[in-house]
Amino acid sequence: MKKSPQEQKLERLLRSSKFSACGFLGTDKRNLWEIIDADAAEIAKAGKTMEEVAARLQEITDIGKAGLGDWVAAGHGLQVSVDDNRGMVPCPWPHRARCLKRITTVKHFRTNTEIRWSDLNIHLIKEHGFFEGRGASFRIEPLVLLSVIFPEE
Amino acid sequence: MGMSMAPLIVPIAIVSAIGAALAASLVFAERVITNYGDVVLDINNGDKKITIRGGGSLLETLTTQKIFIPSACGGRGTCGYCKVRVLEGAGQLLPTEEPYMDDKERALGIRLSCQVKLRNDLKIEIPTELLTIKEYRCTCDEIIDCTYDIKQFKLKFLDGQQINYTPGQYVQVLAPLYEKSNEEVYRAYSISSDPEDKSAIELIVRRVPDGICTTYLFDYLKQGDSVKINGPYGQFYLRDTSAPIIFIAGGSGIAPIKCIVHHMKNTGNTRKSIFFFGVRTTADLFLDKEMTQFAADLPHFRFVPVVSQPESETDWKGTTGRVTDVAEAYLNEQKDASDYEGYLCGSPGMIESSISVLTRFNIPEDRIYYDKFS
Repeated sequence: MKKSPQEQKLERLLRSSKFSACGFLGTDKRNLWEIIDADAAEIAKAGKTMEEVAARLQEITDIGKAGLGDWVAAGHGLQVSVDDNRGMVPCPWPHRARCLKRITTVKHFRTNTEIRWSDLNIHLIKEHGFFEGRGASFRIEPLVLLSVIFPEE
Repeated sequence: MGMSMAPLIVPIAIVSAIGAALAASLVFAERVITNYGDVVLDINNGDKKITIRGGGSLLETLTTQKIFIPSACGGRGTCGYCKVRVLEGAGQLLPTEEPYMDDKERALGIRLSCQVKLRNDLKIEIPTELLTIKEYRCTCDEIIDCTYDIKQFKLKFLDGQQINYTPGQYVQVLAPLYEKSNEEVYRAYSISSDPEDKSAIELIVRRVPDGICTTYLFDYLKQGDSVKINGPYGQFYLRDTSAPIIFIAGGSGIAPIKCIVHHMKNTGNTRKSIFFFGVRTTADLFLDKEMTQFAADLPHFRFVPVVSQPESETDWKGTTGRVTDVAEAYLNEQKDASDYEGYLCGSPGMIESSISVLTRFNIPEDRIYYDKFS
């Protein structure tokens, strides 16, 4: 499939270090749309939508915010810690969204799984269905994510 | 094969020739049509007038003239820091600037200097303190691991340069092009060192995962490397009053407060002051010996490290709890806390929570000081 100039520009931007030191696509050799389609298929197979995933991530982040960096219980055996840094990071897609440099870390004690996401991850999943490429610092594996944030299902 | 290719070569050659002609015309247009000639930049009502070649952004033009406007995104229009007031000549506010302006700023003609192009003469107004900001070349003299994610960098000035700053202010460090970043960016860090030492500054930096500048500082900058900074900036400094002081900081937010406390020691300041330094675990504690020494040297200064979630295997005997809760308990013990001045440095969440505590004790917001980095 041929990519439009806008799509090519976006992919170049995502592979660059313009917004984060390692870029958004990491070492993933797949193109942007292959990554998005593969992750969307996993989410759909699990019976979830991107909106549901993003809403749950936001819900956990909101619980953690009250802890000011401390671990806080978030139910279902989850502990959450939210760490915010100064400054904002813009969404690489061509619109005006910007997110706080806030990182949420969640531990699921029963399965001993730890996972983290940024506010930008929540936006990227909700608005663009994008979990980042493999090897990127903030890549989230959809199935691992689902097992942590929906632990009872 | 050669015969069958021949009909294709002619159209390819024609398309290539058209492409080349278009490219040449674009270069010509760039040089001639968009040549704005010389323009006059009038700063602060004639205080400084510069004649320069038009076409560039106001931010980069000012930088070439050694006038440094705070900017953390390298002029991409994403940080919103580089605001200046344009009195004449900038045209309409651009859509890229809209999200960063409130109604008052729009009415005043505030613009993002990275988005304003110099197409004609321009009159601008910038705070006079920005005119004193300079660029400095330094060498990285020392790197100390403070904790697992915080380092202290000592930058020594080259060429006999010295910096004059007010304790509490910050500088911008240039992260140059390196393996993981294909463009230069500036990031702001507070000065933590003794202000009496004008030949060097120290910065305390916490790693931001995948952050462009902190990745450079933590993983690439080595002792002896050269570093470019500019500054000083900021309105976070000790006010010249006799009010009692409450400092609240978390993590690397200790940096400007350490600098201020150095200054208090140097000047024999006798104001009643207490510093609540919050961290999550004992592994996050650092500079406690230095701060304890300040408490010994300054009779009216108290240092209270606060650990919110000490590890089970440590025998932490100090104060445990959330730093804002501990500060609140302290203010509660005061007969009247409303005469305090609050000095805050840390994450946006901690600052927000601290303001909420201080204002509950009737400390007015205009006596609560912090730098807005976001």
